[in-house]
Amino acid sequence: MATSPTIATQGYTSTDPELAAIDASVRWPVMACFLTAVHWMVVGTFFLVYASSLAHPQDTFPILGLFVSLSDNFSMFTYGRIWPAAVDTLVYGWATTGGLGLAIWILARTCRTPVRSPATLMTAIVFWNLGIATGLIGIFLGDSNSVELLEFPAYAAWTLWLSYVLFAVWAVVTWLGRRPGHDHVAQSWLLVALFSFPWLFGGGSVLLDGKPLAGSGVIQELISAWYVHGLYTLWFAPLGLALLYYLIPKMSGLPIRYGTKTQAAFWTWIIFAPWTAVHDLVGGPFPAETVTTGLVLSGLIFLPVALIGMNLVGTAFAAEEKHGHHGGIVFPFLTLSAVCFVLAGIAEQILSIRSANELLRFTMFRECNFFLWLYGFFSFGLFGAIYYIVPRLLDFSWRSSALIRAHYYFSLYGILLVIAMVGFGSVVQGETLESPDPLVTITIADQNALNFHIASTVCISLIAIGSGIFALHLGWMLLNCINIRVRANRLASEILHEPYEPEGPAGASPAPGTAAAKKEVAA
Amino acid sequence: MISPLTTRGFLLLIGGVFLFTWFGLVVLPWIYLGHLAPIQDEGSSDITPWDASGAAHQGEHIYAADGCVYCHTQQVRPANSGADIIRGWGTAKDESDDKAPPIIRRTYPRDYIWQGQVFLGNSREGADLSNVAERFTDAASLYRYLYDPYILNPHSSMPAYRFLFIERKISGLPSQDALALTGDDAPPAGYEIVPSDEARSLVAYLLSLKKNYHLPDEKGPVPAPPDKS
Repeated sequence: MATSPTIATQGYTSTDPELAAIDASVRWPVMACFLTAVHWMVVGTFFLVYASSLAHPQDTFPILGLFVSLSDNFSMFTYGRIWPAAVDTLVYGWATTGGLGLAIWILARTCRTPVRSPATLMTAIVFWNLGIATGLIGIFLGDSNSVELLEFPAYAAWTLWLSYVLFAVWAVVTWLGRRPGHDHVAQSWLLVALFSFPWLFGGGSVLLDGKPLAGSGVIQELISAWYVHGLYTLWFAPLGLALLYYLIPKMSGLPIRYGTKTQAAFWTWIIFAPWTAVHDLVGGPFPAETVTTGLVLSGLIFLPVALIGMNLVGTAFAAEEKHGHHGGIVFPFLTLSAVCFVLAGIAEQILSIRSANELLRFTMFRECNFFLWLYGFFSFGLFGAIYYIVPRLLDFSWRSSALIRAHYYFSLYGILLVIAMVGFGSVVQGETLESPDPLVTITIADQNALNFHIASTVCISLIAIGSGIFALHLGWMLLNCINIRVRANRLASEILHEPYEPEGPAGASPAPGTAAAKKEVAA
Repeated sequence: MISPLTTRGFLLLIGGVFLFTWFGLVVLPWIYLGHLAPIQDEGSSDITPWDASGAAHQGEHIYAADGCVYCHTQQVRPANSGADIIRGWGTAKDESDDKAPPIIRRTYPRDYIWQGQVFLGNSREGADLSNVAERFTDAASLYRYLYDPYILNPHSSMPAYRFLFIERKISGLPSQDALALTGDDAPPAGYEIVPSDEARSLVAYLLSLKKNYHLPDEKGPVPAPPDKS
């Protein structure tokens, strides 16, 4: 299986020795984030396919009968536990853990300083993952409180929060030790993300996890909407945008198009985007002033979305044109991510229109939005980043360009089809639910939505196959990498007539004297 | 434009932007709604709305643990915003007077003041439950529906909740609240299926969900009842 020369050129570390040193300093924390994130992605995607298949229980897929009977008879497998488990695994286990890895890498690189105390980071990552595992067990055992995206029981939420604080201490120290004169627009986005997460997660957990505040009533739902949309617009969006603003120009060698608009895009996004929270409040028992103000402010989201689209999609398309072949094998992931950001922005814009909101309010459009944000925008950016970063950290290349291509096409068609299906299905479902005919019942709405649920399960399965290919590819690459490192060390020790002493697993970096021998074997 | 990487920009970011959203979305509504109290009836000690039983409050935890909120809402939007009233989700029988027209209305923040946890919900794969106790008036039919939704609605997409029930051997007389099941669902001879404690509190909670009272928050004319002909 020949290594494709288009994936990365020979010698996979950065050509800039300063960046190569920084990459080496963050190698283990970032790899730990990525590996555990990919693990949660596999688990979460499986749960998601499972939950999605339960939305059409009377269907006759071969394995569905088993799923349905498990969900009927065991509380663990009921839809109301599998679905939040799937969403939380993907949101916290996959996207946030991977996002932390990204944040570490981008922060270290843009601050131009090798990191201090990677052990602090490793501790944070270990406890972070323990928190997620505990939270999932809590959901399955029935400790969840069904607050959207805060389903993890309080004990798990606090583990996560404390791990994040540990990470944040590290981030602040790195930030203070930055080399001046290297300000990058990615840093602004990273700053917002890293400050928003503890603010949102701490606030949400204190106020909603555990015992509800007596008499708070519908305020709980306001806080919940603030949290959910805050997580999308102030955590995932800035993190993903930091990545795209950093990597798209770097990989394509082109400056950001309309670069003078990046600051305007930043401030308008930060001011308007969090108000998308009121999309969950229209028509509900809330003060009308809050909803109207929010709809006006979130209706202006088209400004930042258009500016960011001009910046990122413009640059990405220009790069694809310049380099041909979609700009390489990894680059299309970033293009797809940027395009999905614009699509997600358009979806939010649609929900800011009151009549459209009334139609789509309780339909599967919510899933469409979730898929756009989490899969379309964030995950594909993260996939692209992992493809780019891991060879630079391990000095080792991906094994097969065909597998990366396969992953890309499964993801591309999976996400486009799922958005088309769920988007169209939500209009059909909404038209039925909001029909002025009093004889229309919820059963008819369900019947109309049924085929779109089935289509959505099939499309999610496509994405799942793509993600599975990715996970296996990563595993293969790591095994190969370890294998070659071990063999190189053995060879080196034979050449030097020294007794061979195997190094620890995961190829602790080879001794300086073995570098030449290693190059021989790798070549 | 100020860069958020400068001190001034950073303060603007924290103060003007994060706190702006927090204040507008949460603090201001809280000032509006935080002090809501039930309405006291002049001339008697009745209050509206009234608190549900302890068993019903227990049921909130089951409702949360099994994730009912992912498919069911508990909010009725006003007649000018969506078709909730037309679907009949805001209809409740006025129990104070048999001849009175049914109460048809949206839900108001005051309806939720007694609930420990509020489940307004964001998805309607299932029906709205604001007035579910008006549609299911007795516990037995709710137990049967939870055990096997297809009995009442062959096209239901609701999962069955058999894990909330216990199959046990009849010793002596059969239990009073054993489920009356026929066909495939019927337990083997000599056995009966009875609701567990979780099922009992969940059903107590569901039976507490009805908005069969008027509130002073209601403004304007009461909308005409939907034509079911």
